[in-house]
Amino acid sequence: MPVSALVGMEALSFRYAGSTTYALSDVTLSVERGEVVLVAGRPGSGTSTLLLVAGAYAPRLVGGAIEGGLSISASRPSIVFATPWTQLTGLCRTVFAEVAFGPASHALPRERIRALVGLQLERLGVAHLSTRDPATLSGGELQRVIVAAALALEPDLLLLDDPAAELDPAAADALYGLLKETAAEGVGVLVATPDVERGARVASRAIVLEAGRVIHDGEPAGALA
Amino acid sequence: MIGFRTGRSPLHAAHPYTPLAIATALLCLVFAAQTPAAIGIFVLAGIVLAIAGSSLGYVAKPALMLAIPTLVLLFILHGLLGPEPRHALGPLHVSDSGLTEAIVLGGRITAILFAFLTVLATVSPDRLVEAMTERRVSFGATYLLVSTLTLVPRMRRRAAQILEAQQCRGLRLGGSPLARIMALGPLVLPLVLGALAEVDEQVLALDTRGVTSGRVRTAMDPPPDSAAQWAIRWICVCLVVGAWAERVRPLLMLIHPHLYVACR
Repeated sequence: MPVSALVGMEALSFRYAGSTTYALSDVTLSVERGEVVLVAGRPGSGTSTLLLVAGAYAPRLVGGAIEGGLSISASRPSIVFATPWTQLTGLCRTVFAEVAFGPASHALPRERIRALVGLQLERLGVAHLSTRDPATLSGGELQRVIVAAALALEPDLLLLDDPAAELDPAAADALYGLLKETAAEGVGVLVATPDVERGARVASRAIVLEAGRVIHDGEPAGALA
Repeated sequence: MIGFRTGRSPLHAAHPYTPLAIATALLCLVFAAQTPAAIGIFVLAGIVLAIAGSSLGYVAKPALMLAIPTLVLLFILHGLLGPEPRHALGPLHVSDSGLTEAIVLGGRITAILFAFLTVLATVSPDRLVEAMTERRVSFGATYLLVSTLTLVPRMRRRAAQILEAQQCRGLRLGGSPLARIMALGPLVLPLVLGALAEVDEQVLALDTRGVTSGRVRTAMDPPPDSAAQWAIRWICVCLVVGAWAERVRPLLMLIHPHLYVACR
């Protein structure tokens, strides 16, 4: 795997606790700064698990066991799940506070946090919602807020699991455009989505999983087949 | 059951530690008090606290719904089944000491209910988080306290969602008491399992927001505090220490007789 890789997997296998089958089998891949890597596959093929492993959330938080090689040099990974309502902290009464929660946990200065939150809310087109209670937002609004919260952490590796699931086509196009912009700023982006066509438009590379195994790692067009 | 309601009362405007300190002091003082008259004063104090939070109407219903059955139970256990001597109260023969005990215990519960339901109604969870963050309380302790304070409204919201979903699948909530009890089955299991799943989700959600970074969080909008509120909180501490000092003294004698003599 390349030395500059943010995440590198070498013949990696992963299985969840209590399961006899592998969710990921013999996976070899790397993600570098500045690239958008599309992860495609049928439901149950291991795309979500791949993101959890790449961000070091599995097995640390969800349990399970890894076999094979895994190196993570990304110092600030950030993840967005397909179900944005499960990613609310439950401790914030405004969208602004929700997005500011992450940078505040990293002890950034108050003014810097305000600037970061304002910027990301603008980029995601949800600045007008900043005083709203997150619990009252629609699915699409909430999904954009959660992406803003992930970007406000200034990640070097951004992991997204079906980030446009709740979005209308125009908002989904805008989001994928933003992912390309983010990668151009030097962030490594790993995005799992069933919307392969839209993902392939911005991806520099595509990985296709089947039953936890990589069956394609190369041109995004290859994922469309 | 109740949760935070926005408002403009002095308790809403106060630093979150102030209503918490008053309610905690009331809890400690009501357990130090021994006579029905003293307990009555603390029940009144609980009601005054609810009035100060413009929440009497909001708090009284759940407080009384919990307190009245408890008082009836205590009256039966202590008043009717308590020791001699007894006196006639209409057709009932009531134990003198048992009735006093029932009033004392029931009064304590009533005072605590009014005080803490008022805290739930007037202390905004996010302001409490900010206040604790500013005072550099660990995130674990902050989360534990805030999630406890918001537990009931969250469970209630989830229960309402589950009931709606089950009704869509044909669950009937009306009918005889037995039918109503039977309807609890499809509610309780998903409620408990959902709560457990929510814990897992919250762990992931909070971890992705850096709470395990090990750094001291930045307080974004700490609630304003004042010297007067500091004074109120210290008065609460002094009242509790003063009330319990007399009761702790015999214990002190057992542990350290010289110190006990010095205290006298």
